[in-house]
Amino acid sequence: MERMLAKEQIGDWIRTLRGWEVFGPVLQDGVWSYQPADTVQLDHPNTAQPPKGFAFPQREVFFTFEQIKGEPPRLTPVAPKGGQQVVFGVRPCDARGLPRMDRVFTETFDDVYYRTRRGSLAYVGLACNQPPSPHCFCKSVGGSPVSTEGLDVLMTDLGDRYLVAAVTATGEKLMQAAGDLLTEPTGVDRSEAGRLRLAAITHPQRAVNDVASVPPRLKKGFDSSLWEDLARPCISCGICTFLCPTCHCFDINDETNGSTPLKGSRVRTWDSCQFPDFTMHSSGHNPRETLGSRLRQRVCHKFQYFHENFGMFQCVGCGRCVAGCPVGIDIIAVVNQVAASAGEG
Amino acid sequence: MINPQDLCTRARDLLASGEVRAVVGYRRGSRGMAAEPVVITKPEEAASLVWDPSCVHNLALYLVADRKRLAHLHQTPGKPIAIVAKGCDARALVVLMQENYFKREEVYILGVSCESTGVWDDQKLMQRLGCDSQSLTGGRFDGDDFVVTTATGEQRISAPECMADRCLECRHPFPTMNNVVLGEEKARTLAAPFAALSRFEEATGTQPARWAFWQRQFERCIRCFACRSVCPMCYCEECIVDSITFTVALDTTAAEKANRVRWIQRSATRSENIGYHMTRALHLAGRCIDCGECERVCPVHIPLRLLNNKLEKESREKFGYEPGVSIEIASLVSSFRDDDPNDFIR
Amino acid sequence: MMHEQQQTQTQYEPKIVAFLCKWCSSAGSDLAGVSRIQYPAHATPITVMCSGSVSPQYILSAFNKGADGVLVSGCHIGDCHYMEGNYLARRKLYLINEMLQFIGVEPTRFRMSWVSAAEGAKFANIVKDFVEDLRPLGPQDKLKAQHP
Repeated sequence: MERMLAKEQIGDWIRTLRGWEVFGPVLQDGVWSYQPADTVQLDHPNTAQPPKGFAFPQREVFFTFEQIKGEPPRLTPVAPKGGQQVVFGVRPCDARGLPRMDRVFTETFDDVYYRTRRGSLAYVGLACNQPPSPHCFCKSVGGSPVSTEGLDVLMTDLGDRYLVAAVTATGEKLMQAAGDLLTEPTGVDRSEAGRLRLAAITHPQRAVNDVASVPPRLKKGFDSSLWEDLARPCISCGICTFLCPTCHCFDINDETNGSTPLKGSRVRTWDSCQFPDFTMHSSGHNPRETLGSRLRQRVCHKFQYFHENFGMFQCVGCGRCVAGCPVGIDIIAVVNQVAASAGEG
Repeated sequence: MINPQDLCTRARDLLASGEVRAVVGYRRGSRGMAAEPVVITKPEEAASLVWDPSCVHNLALYLVADRKRLAHLHQTPGKPIAIVAKGCDARALVVLMQENYFKREEVYILGVSCESTGVWDDQKLMQRLGCDSQSLTGGRFDGDDFVVTTATGEQRISAPECMADRCLECRHPFPTMNNVVLGEEKARTLAAPFAALSRFEEATGTQPARWAFWQRQFERCIRCFACRSVCPMCYCEECIVDSITFTVALDTTAAEKANRVRWIQRSATRSENIGYHMTRALHLAGRCIDCGECERVCPVHIPLRLLNNKLEKESREKFGYEPGVSIEIASLVSSFRDDDPNDFIR
Repeated sequence: MMHEQQQTQTQYEPKIVAFLCKWCSSAGSDLAGVSRIQYPAHATPITVMCSGSVSPQYILSAFNKGADGVLVSGCHIGDCHYMEGNYLARRKLYLINEMLQFIGVEPTRFRMSWVSAAEGAKFANIVKDFVEDLRPLGPQDKLKAQHP
C-alpha cells in the first residue's frame, strides 16, 4: 500500500493513532533522541542512540523480592506494560537492527520481556535521501538507504510531502487509521520517489571491501597481531557498543533498596564487551584481558560469529561506533585491514 | 610556529639513539584527516607522526595505560617513554608525578606549544565549514588561524571561531614541564577563565533552575564510562561503579561475593548517574587540569566540564590551589590552611 | 480534605543521617542523652573515627538511600584527636557542599558542625534546628534511588 501525505499533516495522522504511544526524534541539549511526541518534524540526521531501547531497554526489572526474617523470600514478577508504541523517523539501518535482535531474544531463547515489548512496537521509517553520517556504510552489510527490513512503514521525503509505504500488516493498520489524510500517489509522485531512491542508493558510501569474503577471512585472522595493534589506542569505554543498534549483551544484578526486611529487585542492564570487567571471572582470571582480544570479540561477533550462526551480519552500517569513538577506532578500517592481511597469507 | 617535520625528526632520533623505548604521539587515522593516538617503537615509524589542530586527545592517558600494562606483566619500565604533550597534557603529567604515579625521569616530554591557538572542536568546525569530517582532507596551524582543506579547496579560518571551549579558556597553552619543546610560549587571552562556567551560573541563578538543568543532563547519561575511560586521572584499579570493586581471595565465600557493597548500581538511572558523576567530580578535585576530554567524548553531550570547572574555581578562590603547576606541592585534599572557609560550619 | 492535608504535613518527619566523630561529636551526642536533653529522634548516628574519614561517597550514598538531610560533625578546629583530620574534613566537605548546591540540591540538606564531647546541648540544638529546617522542604527525592 502506497499513499501520499502532506508534510504539515503528519501531526494529524499521529492524532488518529489512538491507543498508540507515539515517539519521534527530538533535539534537546544538542542531542537527538526519540521522545514522546504529538507531532514530529523529520529533519534529523540520525539520533545519538538507536531506537533499540524500545524493545531492549537499558534497564529491565525482572521481579522484585522481599524477605522477612524467618520466612521464605517472596518474589513478585514484573512484566513490561506492553502498551503499543510507534516510533517515527527510524532510519532504515536502525530498523534492520530489530530482526537481528529477534534472532537473539526470540529464536534460540524466548525472552518474554523482549518479546512483549517487541510485539507491541512499530517503526515508521524515513528513507535516507542523503546519508545522515559521513560514516554510513549500510550498503556494505546488505542494507540500503531505502531498506524496509524491520520497518512497518517506510516514508520517503519528497520535499513538501511524503510517500508513505506500508511494509507489514501493522503498517497498513497504522495507515488505515489516517483515513482521508493519505491520498493516492500520482504518476509524478511515483516517478519523483523513484528518482530520489535511485539517487539515495547510488550515493557513494564508505565500504567494507569484498564483504562476502569477510567471515572466512576473519576466522583465518583470529590470531593476527593486527588486533592488538589496532586496539592499542582503545580506552575501553562503552560508546561503540551502547550506541550500536544490534549490541545486546547484558548484566543481571540484584539491587537492594532495604535491609530490614531485605528487599529489592532483580534487574537486567546493558553491558559491554569492551569493558575490562565484562569477562572477569570471580577468581580474578580474565580470558579477554587485552584490548586486542576485546576489539576482536566486537568485530568478529558482528562480522563472523553472527554470520556463521544466523547467515547475516550483526552490523547494520549506521556508523555510530565510527563517529563516536573517542580515539578513532574505525570498524570499517579494522575489518578491511584484518581481512586483507588474512587474505594475503 | 611548529613544523610537524621537526616532531618526526625528534621522535626518530629519540628512538634511534635508544634514549626512549617508545613515543606516544598522533598519527593520521581513517576518519578524514582527524588524528588518532599512536604508540610507536621503531625509528622508521616516526615519519607517520602528525601535529595539527585535530590532535585533540590527552595522551597522558597512554602513559597510565603503559604503566598498568607493565605492572601486570611484572616488568620494570627500563628506559623512559616519550610523549608528545600539549600544555594540558603536560599539566596532567605534573599531577600524575605529584601523585607518584611515575617519576619525572621515567617520562621524556616532547612538548608542543599551542602558541596562540589550540585544538579545534570537531562540531564547531563542521558547522562553520558546512561539510562533514570525511570531506575534510587537510588542516594545519597558521599563526592565529587554522588553514583547512575541503573539496572546495583551501581556506583560512580564524581559530577562535572553531576552537574547543577548553582551549579558549586555557591559561597554559605552553607545556612548562618538558625535556624539549617545539613552538613558542605566547601570551594570549581568548576567553576569560571559567567563561563557560560563569555563563552557566548566570543563566541558572536559582536552585530550581540548577536542578532542572542537571536533572536533564544526568537522566541522559548512558553510563558508557567514556568520561572515566578517557581521563588520565581516573587511573584507579577499581572504580566504585565497576562490578569488581571487591577483592576476591581464596577464602571469599559466595555469600560475601553476592553481598558485596555496591555504592552505585549498574542501572543508568538519575540517582545512580548522579552518584557516579558527583563522585568522579569530587575525586578529581584539585587533580583535573581541564583538558576537557570527558566533555569531548560524551556521546550524549553532558557538559561535564562544568562540574570539574566548578571545583577548580572553588579550589583556586578559596584554597589558592591550582592543579598541574608543581610536582612538589601537597595535593588539594591532603593539605589545608588555617584560614580555609569555616563559616558554612555551625 | 483540609484536615487530611494538614495531617500528612505534620506527619512528615525528615530522616537525618549523622556522621559523628568518635572522639568529640559522638561523645557529645552521648552527653545529650545522659543529660536527658529532649531533642528530636530523627537523626541516625553513624560513628566514624574522624570527620576527616568521611568520604563524599558516604554523603552521596546516604542521600541515595533516602536521607532527607546529612550531618557531619567533628571536633572543633584544633581539637582533632588525629591533629589535623578535621582540617582535611573542612576542605573536602566545603567542596561537596558547593557541588550539591551547584547541581541544585537545596542548601539546607547538608550540614556540618563542630561539637565537642562537652557540648551535649549544642548537639541537641543542631539536630533540632536541622529537623525544623528540613521539614518545610519535604522528602528528598533528587538523589534518592527511585528504583522499584
